Amino acid sequence: MKYIIYILLSFNLMTFTISAEETRQVDKHEHGVGELNIAVEGSTIEFEFMIPGADIVGFEYVAKNDEDIAKINQALKTFDDYTNIFTLPSNSLCELNGQKVALKEEDEHDEHEEHDEHEEHDEHEEHDEHAEHAEENHNEFYAKYSFECGNINAIKEVNFPYFATFTNSGELEVQFISNMGSTSFGVEGDKPLINTDGKI
Amino acid sequence: MLLKLTFNSLYARLLTVGMTVFAISLSLMLYMSVEKLRTSAYTSFTDTISQTDLIVGARTSSVQLLLYSVFRIGNATNNITWESYEDVINKKEVAWSVPISLGDSHKGFRVMGTNSEFFKRYKFRGGQSIELEEGNKLDDLYDVIIGAGVAEKLNYSVGTPLIVSHGLQSFSDHDDQPFKVSGILAKTGTPVDNTVIVSLEAIEAIHVDWSTGAKIPGQITPVEEIRQMDLSPKNITAALIGVNSKLQIFQLQRWINEYPEESLSSILPGVALQELWRIVGVIENLLLGISVTVIFTTLIGMTAIIFSSLNERRREMAIWRAMGASPKVVIGLLMLEAFIISVMSIIVSTVMLFLTLYVLQPWIDNTYGILVNIEMLAVKDIYIFMLFIIAASLVSLIPAIRAYWFSINDGMTIKI
Repeated sequence: MKYIIYILLSFNLMTFTISAEETRQVDKHEHGVGELNIAVEGSTIEFEFMIPGADIVGFEYVAKNDEDIAKINQALKTFDDYTNIFTLPSNSLCELNGQKVALKEEDEHDEHEEHDEHEEHDEHEEHDEHAEHAEENHNEFYAKYSFECGNINAIKEVNFPYFATFTNSGELEVQFISNMGSTSFGVEGDKPLINTDGKI
Repeated sequence: MLLKLTFNSLYARLLTVGMTVFAISLSLMLYMSVEKLRTSAYTSFTDTISQTDLIVGARTSSVQLLLYSVFRIGNATNNITWESYEDVINKKEVAWSVPISLGDSHKGFRVMGTNSEFFKRYKFRGGQSIELEEGNKLDDLYDVIIGAGVAEKLNYSVGTPLIVSHGLQSFSDHDDQPFKVSGILAKTGTPVDNTVIVSLEAIEAIHVDWSTGAKIPGQITPVEEIRQMDLSPKNITAALIGVNSKLQIFQLQRWINEYPEESLSSILPGVALQELWRIVGVIENLLLGISVTVIFTTLIGMTAIIFSSLNERRREMAIWRAMGASPKVVIGLLMLEAFIISVMSIIVSTVMLFLTLYVLQPWIDNTYGILVNIEMLAVKDIYIFMLFIIAASLVSLIPAIRAYWFSINDGMTIKI
């Protein structure tokens, strides 16, 4: 098996390293790819969505006019009802017992900390950086739902009306963990479901 | 009656029919063994690590982190400092952790520094623990525990002295500090079998006289002095982590990935395995494609053989007709023949498969670390068999129709 992996490695994998002397790091952000984390513990199941703004409202700049603001509010409202995003089998008897929906705008890169730490830095450089950021502002819709289930083992699949709800949506990359171990799924609009049979 | 006739007819052509059955059986066996290896490789693979929630290492791709920390393939791009490791394990979400330090080797086998938690927490194949087959745990600084594969290949037993080499493929040895085998682990079927395990302190100890990857010339600290030194680890390669609740795992993962002091990566082993398997899947499908093609070719081969025998058997058919068989019965006979050939091939191929697996299983396990399960046929195999039988019968329609046409034209006298 080692050999198979060696061969594959030779033409498949690339690695990236980032030196850590000064810690400037930026989260990954890929339009068309939303992230979903699902965790199961006992009778609780949690869903955590992190979806690029472009996939939901079609833009990522800070809302400029009333129309943009209305779009964002509408989207947040859509997220408020989880059944617009995903559905669980009714025989799993899951009840929503907590949710959080938010729009996360890219932080201003800890402005104050930066200034404190690098006072000797050329101010102009800093300003330039900020100007760039303003143009390519990324925002992200964040939604977390927590359920208590009467029969959690009945969740044999999860459906995602998400793709139909948001027409700009692309792929969902799912990380899944339960006591049975962790796994991943890639979900797309043409087959909007994941099969969790035997994984909970 | 019809069945008996077909059997007798087949028996009369024992050699050709036997060869056909053998050819088909071989191709079916090829298909089934590819399937078997594929599923076994996947299970062996996913069984290598279980119940570990996160693996933490220096910032790198998830597949690479998984490969070097669990499969001991490739190298770490960076180590992580002990301070960062402590910051991570002091988080309230963390239930347990196992530090791992890699980088040295012994006769081609990786040396791994760790602590006693490893033996308690590392689980494989659905939660099995590693066990000592003989000997003791790491009691002394210069004790090593070796995996079953190392013991077998190097013919080591408890008490055998050994020298750890610096790096993975170097000629410089840590010969001033010899180790001794204190224990041998039971076989696990995982990369642990091919690992030499020492304590984290031992890794520090053998590098006392080393600086930036090279031995400091002329400096040899006596072993007695090293034993008195503070040998607490300064850095590690990776860490296996278990969380208190699965619900906290993603929060912890994000915290680690965004840890400001040092660039760290944390991965869910199952997710990384899945990612790796997606890459392997390409080759998997290729193999499957090849074996399906082979089955297809044999089917055509079978048709060709029936076809070529038709001419020789025109007299036989004339006799069937003379005995009152209608042309339709002739078609039925030929299809029945194909059916019998395919069923026989399935039986022969299954027997051959299990015999081969039985003989090769220990070799595959030793050489590639894949434990092939010899178990009953899966439902999927039965489906494939049924599909094959149907395909064979359908394909045999072509010579059957020709035979029908012959028998109508020929009647009882053969016109050539």
